[in-house]
Amino acid sequence: MIDPGGPPSLGRAESGPGEPEVSWLRPSPLLLRARRIEVAAVTVPAAIIGGVAGQFVSAAVGIAIAAGVVLAGLVGERFLARRVASWGYAERHDDLMVRRGVLIRRLSVIPYGRMQFIDVTAGPLERALGLATLRMHTAAAASDARIPGLESGAAAALRDQLAALGEAQAAGL
Amino acid sequence: MTGSGPAGPPGPLPAAPPLASDESWHRLHPLSPLVRAGRQMMSLLVVLIGIAVLNQHQDGNLVADVVVIVIALVGGFVSWLVTRWQIAGGVLRIDTGLLRRESRRFPLSQIQAVDVVQTGLARLLGLAELQLRIAGADSAGGGRLACLRLAEAEQLRRQLLALTAVPAGGLAVPPTRAEAVQDPAEPTAVRKLFRVRASRLPVAILLTRSGATVLVVAVATWLTAQFTGSAGVVAPFLPVAFGVAATLWRRFNGEYGTTVVAAQDGIRLRSGLIQRTAETIRPGRIQAVCLVEPMIWRPLGWCRLEVDVAGARQRREDRAEGQRLRALIPVGSRAEADLVLAALLSNPPLPSQPAPARARWKAPLSYHFLSWNGDDRYAVAARGRVCRETTWVPLEKVQSVRWVQGPLQRRLGLATVHLDVAGKRVSAKIEDRDSAEALRILAALPDLARAARSRAG
Repeated sequence: MIDPGGPPSLGRAESGPGEPEVSWLRPSPLLLRARRIEVAAVTVPAAIIGGVAGQFVSAAVGIAIAAGVVLAGLVGERFLARRVASWGYAERHDDLMVRRGVLIRRLSVIPYGRMQFIDVTAGPLERALGLATLRMHTAAAASDARIPGLESGAAAALRDQLAALGEAQAAGL
Repeated sequence: MTGSGPAGPPGPLPAAPPLASDESWHRLHPLSPLVRAGRQMMSLLVVLIGIAVLNQHQDGNLVADVVVIVIALVGGFVSWLVTRWQIAGGVLRIDTGLLRRESRRFPLSQIQAVDVVQTGLARLLGLAELQLRIAGADSAGGGRLACLRLAEAEQLRRQLLALTAVPAGGLAVPPTRAEAVQDPAEPTAVRKLFRVRASRLPVAILLTRSGATVLVVAVATWLTAQFTGSAGVVAPFLPVAFGVAATLWRRFNGEYGTTVVAAQDGIRLRSGLIQRTAETIRPGRIQAVCLVEPMIWRPLGWCRLEVDVAGARQRREDRAEGQRLRALIPVGSRAEADLVLAALLSNPPLPSQPAPARARWKAPLSYHFLSWNGDDRYAVAARGRVCRETTWVPLEKVQSVRWVQGPLQRRLGLATVHLDVAGKRVSAKIEDRDSAEALRILAALPDLARAARSRAG
């Protein structure tokens, strides 16, 4: 029903005066695996618990519940692939662009000079896969720019690079 | 602002500290513990008197209450004894605490606004509290000096504003210290912009959502009492009604007598019936200006003008109050709003570019008002049907630009662009533009904002 379309791209719109084509960088392909593991980690126990609980009514109900949960997990996985593929970021001369989302598509532009601080976080699963999430904070609470699924080395490098750019262009409130 | 690092302002220290920033330590006014404990003290006193009047023979409670009051006063006195402040090297330093020493430093360059607040008790004693608004700090994070003598507080406010003077363009860091040397005591030319009409304010407050709630509840309880013949049935509603009425009262108390004056050092704002507040807002510190026109007010031609300054206002007793923006005009006509707006922003554009007609399928109620406009200094966006809101944002204050497209918008070929400014409260939403136009806005705004920033700096 909803056409995911291509990612929003400034180049395609032919709008900005002399806007150069933006080259999008993507998170690591491992991000999809991390997300899949997360979904599986929720689905499998839920299916087992639901199935066992259903056994108290009848065996058929138990199997139906377990199958339903697994099916829901599989459907979720389909959406997951598109959501993961929608992430992208681009470093431009003066700002960083981050895009995400399938159903609700978002594209944020954060000037380097506006970055207040940058943090890199990695949960246990991300650490196991060697991934990290980069999060940029501006003085505005709504800015909300993060890039998940960067390889830890790349995340640290990007953090340092953004911090240096931010320092060079820093502006007051 | 935190970008300047935890080590404080790295810039040069003021060469010639004007007036009383003589680096000596000062104390607060000796009566301040009384004022600070005023609220609790009042309620205690009421209880005390009530007990004394009701049962004079039973004085056990009385002794307990007196002990509580004495302990509170001694505690307040000790806290006063160990609190001192100084202005030195471009930093306001407040030391306090007996057992847990606390030393707080506020770099003057990071002060967004300085407020002078007088509670009812403080007014009786001629005292005032000085509150500093620091970007990013919540109500507990900002510095406060409670209490000083009123004249002293006013003088200190002028001094701080002179020390924190920002260049005309309004960039926060680094303040050029040369400009700060002007004599702060010099009487500045002022121009009165607005004074709220005392007769209009209560009507306007009753015509808001919470006001209407109170009216409805009051009428409903009265009717119920009439029909059932017993007053007992309304009892469950009373706490709610009382709470809402208290909110309304606080709003009336806070906004009564709002006066806006344009002075050399910024827009001066005074308001309050019992608790008086005096604020100075520098034009360069304004993050956003918001014109609100609720549906019920529109036929009367009334509106509300609010201004967003980084840093929360300090209101300990009411958190919701801190979330609301400061109303320069609690209620006024459009002409009055335009006058104040012109003083806040120079030649602000009007939201003259309406959204495409197909936006009505996505926003059937509000599409009528959806519009935006922008030039190289400001962007303005209007939205909302029940409560029409027009938000102006100076481009040099824009923190980030976001482009958002929901599923329905995608089918209609529309998109929304958000301009975020510092804080949690405001962002100008340019809603439901044609996709191509939204992308054009998105492409152009970061460059315009950067140009505005460098111009301001």
